[in-house]
Amino acid sequence: MRYFIIILLFFISGHSLARIIVVCKTCPVEGIGVAIQLAQEGDTILVKRGIYQEYDIKIDKCLTLIGQDWPVVEGGNQSEVFSITAPGVTMEGFQIQNTGASQSQERAGIRIKNTSDFRIRRNRLLNTYFGIYLEYSRDGIVEDNYIKGEAVSETTSGNAVHAWYCKQITVRGNSVYGHRDGIYFEFVDSSWISHNYSEANVRYGLHFMFSNDDRYFHNTFRHNGSGVAVMFSKRIDMIANHFEHNWGTAAYGLLLKEIYDASLRDNHFDRNTIGIFMEGAARINYENNTFSNNGITLKMMGGCIANHFKGNFFFSNTLDLVVEGNTNDNSFDGNYWSEYTGYDLNRDGVGDVPYRPVKLFAYVMHRCPESVVLLRSFFVDLLNLSEK
Amino acid sequence: MKKAIFILIGVAMIAGCKPSPQPINYGTDLCNHCQMTIVDRQHAGEAVTKKSKVYKFDAIECMVNYVNVHQEPEWAILLAGDYNRPGEMTDALAGSYLISKAIPSPMGAYLSAFASKEEAEKVQSEKGGEIYDWSQLLTKLHPGTPQ
Repeated sequence: MRYFIIILLFFISGHSLARIIVVCKTCPVEGIGVAIQLAQEGDTILVKRGIYQEYDIKIDKCLTLIGQDWPVVEGGNQSEVFSITAPGVTMEGFQIQNTGASQSQERAGIRIKNTSDFRIRRNRLLNTYFGIYLEYSRDGIVEDNYIKGEAVSETTSGNAVHAWYCKQITVRGNSVYGHRDGIYFEFVDSSWISHNYSEANVRYGLHFMFSNDDRYFHNTFRHNGSGVAVMFSKRIDMIANHFEHNWGTAAYGLLLKEIYDASLRDNHFDRNTIGIFMEGAARINYENNTFSNNGITLKMMGGCIANHFKGNFFFSNTLDLVVEGNTNDNSFDGNYWSEYTGYDLNRDGVGDVPYRPVKLFAYVMHRCPESVVLLRSFFVDLLNLSEK
Repeated sequence: MKKAIFILIGVAMIAGCKPSPQPINYGTDLCNHCQMTIVDRQHAGEAVTKKSKVYKFDAIECMVNYVNVHQEPEWAILLAGDYNRPGEMTDALAGSYLISKAIPSPMGAYLSAFASKEEAEKVQSEKGGEIYDWSQLLTKLHPGTPQ
C-alpha cells in the first residue's frame, strides 16, 4: 500500500510539472501575451471564447495553445498577430483576423521562424495579409486550417500559406481562398502537400519556385488565376489532383517551366483555357491523367525534351496539342483520344491508324490567334479532312 | 488646305508611332520572360522597343535577363517598378538598385529598384545589401558571370 501511494505521488507530481493556464475575460489571466509570459516550457494555454485585441504575440517557449469555442484574436490592422520562434509549439482552434497591409513588412497571421516541430491545426485566418508564413523552419505540420483573404481582385495581398527555405514540412487538409497564391513554396525541399482545397486566388492555386523533391497529391485547384505553377524545380511528383475551371486569356491548369525529372499521375484537368503549358520541361512522365473540356489541352513551347505521355484520356477538348519551337524526343503511347475517327478492324482495342494530335489549324491559330473565330467552321472542317 | 490635312495626318502618324509605355494590368498580364502572372507592384518591369512593342515583366531580374539575352530588338524605354511607390515605374537606366537578402523579389534575385541613389541608400541602411546601377546590374545578373 505504501509503495502504491509513493507511485501515485510520483505520477501526480510528474503531471503537475506541465501546467494549464486558462485565459478568459473574467479569469485571473486576461490576455494571451500575459499568459505566455507566465508560462514555462511545456505548459498548455487554454484560451476561452472572447475577443482578444492583441497583436505581435511572440511565442518563444515550447507551449501548446488551444482555443476553446473559437476565441478571436483581432490584429486591428496594426501588425502581425502571432510569431513562433520556439520548437515544439502547437496552436489549435484560434480565429485570427485583420493584420492589415504594410509596404515594408510582410505581415502574417501566424509566422513560424527559425524553428522546428511545429503543429498549426484547425485555425481560421480571416483577412490576413499572409496567412501562415513559414521561414527557415523544418519538420512541421500545417493542417486543416481555413484561410480566407479579401483579395478578390486586389493584388495587394500575400499568400495564404507561404513557405520559404523550409524542409520536410506537411501542408494538409487546408482550405485557402482569396489570396495571391493559395500555397507558395520557395526553396522548400522534401515536403508534402495533400488534400488541400484552393479556390479564387488571384495568381496561382499552388506555386513552386526553386523547390526540389516535393510531392503534392489529392488537392483540388479551382477557379484560380491559374491552377498550379511549378517553376525552376526538380523531382516533383503530382498525383491525383484536380485542376478545374481556370479560365482567362492566359490561364492554365498547370504551368511547367524549367522543371526536370517529374511525374504526373492520375490527375484530372477539366475546363481550363490551357490544360498544361510547358516550357523547358524535361524528362517528365504523364500517366493515366484525364483531360476533359479544355480549350488547348497541351501547349508545348521550346525546350521540352523527353516528355512521355502514356495511357492518358483526352476527352472533348477543343485542341489536343499545340507545339512551338524545338521540341523533340517526346512520345505519345496508348492514349485515348475522343477526336479519333479511325477504325479498329482487327479488334485489338487500338485504332489501326495512329492518331495525329497536332492539326494544321492549331498551327495557324498559334501564329494568328484571331483566326480562332473560324474554329468549328466549314473551312476548318475541310482543312482537317484534307489533312487526313 | 488639302496639303495641310496631309501634313496633319502625317504628323499624327509619326506622333502615334512614338514608343510609349502601357500600364500593367496587375493580376492578369503575364511576364514575357517567365510566364508568371504579374502581381508584385513593387518589383514589376516594362520594356518598350523602338517599334512600340511592349514587353512586361513580373520582376526586374526577368527584365534584366531578357534584355541581356535579346540584344535585338532595340529598346526605346526601360522601366523598373519603384520599391518606394508601389504601382509606379521609374526609368531603369537612371535608377538605383539594391540587392538585399531582407527584401525578397518575385524571381529570387532579392532585387529592388529606386528612383534615386539616396532612396536606395536609405533602405540599404535599414535592410542591408549592396547598391548597383543599371550597367553594373547587367553584368551582375548576366548568365555567364560568376555570382
